[in-house]
Amino acid sequence: MLVLQVLTNGILLGGLYAVVALGLALVWGVLDIINLAHGAFIMLGGYLTYYLFTGLGLDPFASLPLVMLAMFVLGYLIQWGLLNFLVRAPMFNMLLVTFGIDVVLTYLAQIMFSADLRTIRPAYAGSNFTVGGVTVPWTNLLAFVVALLLTGLLALFLQRQRWGRAIRATAQNLGAARLHGVPPRFAYALTFGIGAALAGGAGTLYGMVAQLTPYVGVPLTAKSFAIAIIGGLDNPLGVIVGGLVLGLAEAFGSLWLGPTYRDAVSLGLLVLVLIVRPTGILGRAS
Amino acid sequence: MRALVWVLAAAAVAALAIVPFTLSPVMVQFGISMLLFAVLAQGWNIIGGFTGYASFGNSVFFGLGTYGTAVAMVQFHLSFALGLVIGAAVAVAFAVLIGLPVLRLRGHYFAITTLALSEAVAAIISNLDIAGRNQGLILPLIRGDTMFYELSLGLMVLATLTVLWLARSRFGFGLIAIREREDAAEVMGIPTTRYKVMAFALAALFSALAGGIQAYYLTFIDPASAFDLSLNVRMIIMAVFGGAGTVLGPVIGAFLLSGVSEVLASYITGVASLFFGLVIIAAVLFTPKGVIDAARRLPRRGLAYFLDAVRETRL
Amino acid sequence: MSGRDAGERTVLFEARHVTRRFGGLVAVSDVSYRHNQGEILGLIGPNGAGKTTLINLISGTLEPTGGELLFEGRPLKGMAPYRRAHLGIGRTFQLMKPFPGLSVLDNVTAGALFGRQPELAMAKARDLAAHWLEFVGLGEKASQPADALGGPDRKRLELAKALALQPRLLLLDEVMAGLNAVEIDEVVALIQRIRDGGTTILVIEHVVKAIRKLSDRLLVLQYGQLIAEGTAESVLEDPAVIEAYLGRRRG
Repeated sequence: MLVLQVLTNGILLGGLYAVVALGLALVWGVLDIINLAHGAFIMLGGYLTYYLFTGLGLDPFASLPLVMLAMFVLGYLIQWGLLNFLVRAPMFNMLLVTFGIDVVLTYLAQIMFSADLRTIRPAYAGSNFTVGGVTVPWTNLLAFVVALLLTGLLALFLQRQRWGRAIRATAQNLGAARLHGVPPRFAYALTFGIGAALAGGAGTLYGMVAQLTPYVGVPLTAKSFAIAIIGGLDNPLGVIVGGLVLGLAEAFGSLWLGPTYRDAVSLGLLVLVLIVRPTGILGRAS
Repeated sequence: MRALVWVLAAAAVAALAIVPFTLSPVMVQFGISMLLFAVLAQGWNIIGGFTGYASFGNSVFFGLGTYGTAVAMVQFHLSFALGLVIGAAVAVAFAVLIGLPVLRLRGHYFAITTLALSEAVAAIISNLDIAGRNQGLILPLIRGDTMFYELSLGLMVLATLTVLWLARSRFGFGLIAIREREDAAEVMGIPTTRYKVMAFALAALFSALAGGIQAYYLTFIDPASAFDLSLNVRMIIMAVFGGAGTVLGPVIGAFLLSGVSEVLASYITGVASLFFGLVIIAAVLFTPKGVIDAARRLPRRGLAYFLDAVRETRL
Repeated sequence: MSGRDAGERTVLFEARHVTRRFGGLVAVSDVSYRHNQGEILGLIGPNGAGKTTLINLISGTLEPTGGELLFEGRPLKGMAPYRRAHLGIGRTFQLMKPFPGLSVLDNVTAGALFGRQPELAMAKARDLAAHWLEFVGLGEKASQPADALGGPDRKRLELAKALALQPRLLLLDEVMAGLNAVEIDEVVALIQRIRDGGTTILVIEHVVKAIRKLSDRLLVLQYGQLIAEGTAESVLEDPAVIEAYLGRRRG
């Protein structure tokens, strides 16, 4: 029974992880930019949700579109006004600048929101139901469903929508994006904006099931890498696989090795996949 | 001109050497941190600047050096010198072992793997009894800031001389060729795998020695501080800001940015870190080729230098 | 262990039933030939026939999935590219691969430092590099950054880099593509001078006039298979070759 419960926890966690990594994987796969500020975007989305809830009494799930819109604007502006100027610089320059953004956002948050722990707790928080001896918290289940929904929507957008196809073309080469009638600078800003919006949405969900501090960003960025690497960058649905693998590995790692080994398990898994199969479990062989 | 640079460098080292006897203890403490950062930046310069493998996990070598030295001294009651040797040996062995699979990866994949490795090792060490788990280790207390300072200075000079040798030797030439185009380097007769592993091991050696000195100097270590991820970004930004792949650039970058950090830290910590983030962004954006390049061309180009730097890398 | 071919000419390099597969695709299929000491061998065939793959197999960038390669009778199997370079196998790349951030001279110096010759001092290697730059006609551009060179000069740089290894077998992958008639004549003369210096050469080329002039013998690849071998005259008259190679290029 314990194993079944841990399995459930791992799957629910995995769904959340999928949406946590979604924006990072999109930006990495399409723009070849690893956004080290991704976790900080999630953190910002979480705080935005928190203040919409405590200030205006807005239900977290209802605030999701608002948070995503705000984060889209922020992401769009960061790419358009800053990162677009570094696209042709050596790779580690981009890493350094996105790290700089992470530092700025983290300490802005510390000044504005303080370092106190925050949780978003609507009335239904903590309620759960039991199926066959396995307890399922409603919030986690709902977050799981929304996570899958967002991932599916992104996949559809990239497949069907004109801009989505232009974004995918940008991943191939810049000229192709132009052929779709989308200037590269706009395509980059659009993609990064969508990545930030997804991070914001992930922040809303994360804030409901975990505690927020200004410092949650870096570990979330690290997990996002792991998930993107495990799932591969070819397909947005890969992050679901990556998220589930990581969620289950952490859940069972905690069970069998003890909770202090949780991070070692997920990072060890990441290193292993990177060395053995850098294109991801699902990715094409290089 | 070249001779002048080295005369100036020698004079600078001499001036640095007398700091503990002329300036305040606070300055000496600042000096130790600055010098150790310069060593880390030089270490990164070997693998990142010369060889072109942008490691984001050199903190693992620093951490292993820290723990190797501390465990040797605390658990086995060995001398500091022996501790340093053991810490360095552990880090170099790790670099060779892990370098073989990891140095096959390129670009982002290499960067992320090294980053994750550092975290993974930190997670393992915080579960080891011999390493004091999460609580860390307390080393024997010693009052000797002057000794630590001179030791750090010596190590910084040694690291810089090593990089100078790289810039002029056959081995260093091979590393640069690997950075510029690895497949072409291989068919030109350069043993790329062996050279990359050697460069990684050399970077590990200096980072670990810096870690060992830091451990005894602070007399307390724990996984969070020994494997601090932001250490990676700091050493990289120092090397890049000063000039990656140059001999003196990383040292100059470390000195300048340590100075900036120190000044900023005299305000509230939160604000200081925030400014450090802004400094990183501005430095990378406007001087992507490092201050040495900027200093060389700024007088002639004026402010247009910065605009050109941005234009060159713009989408 | 140098093999003798009927007691007449020394065989420097030999391919025996060499095959390379990429998944289901057979890029090079059961290719066998001998390359005599001092000979210029032309390698022609339509695009995608496996020419560059064959060079990659010889230089060690790829390993064959079947058959074996012998250099002076010695099997090359499992030998890393840099060790083959030390033995004296040098190559150019069709898509030129200079070290972009280095000067033209330093590009060639890398070859001089790590080639077949015993370890040289840096100054010696630079002298040698300068010599090869003069040889290919790039002497005046030695101090320029390599990525500032134009197309034809890049071809010359590729040649100089490979020559600085002092190769015994030089593999040239389309060093004349994109050059005009005058430049082609210059490069043809250059290659002949390299051979006169004692180097054995394999040339991949599309310019038929040049390859006819250069080659002692021609090999023709199609779909990875060797479909003809012999003197330029006989091979270029061969109906199968005309059909496969020229016919397809025009069609």
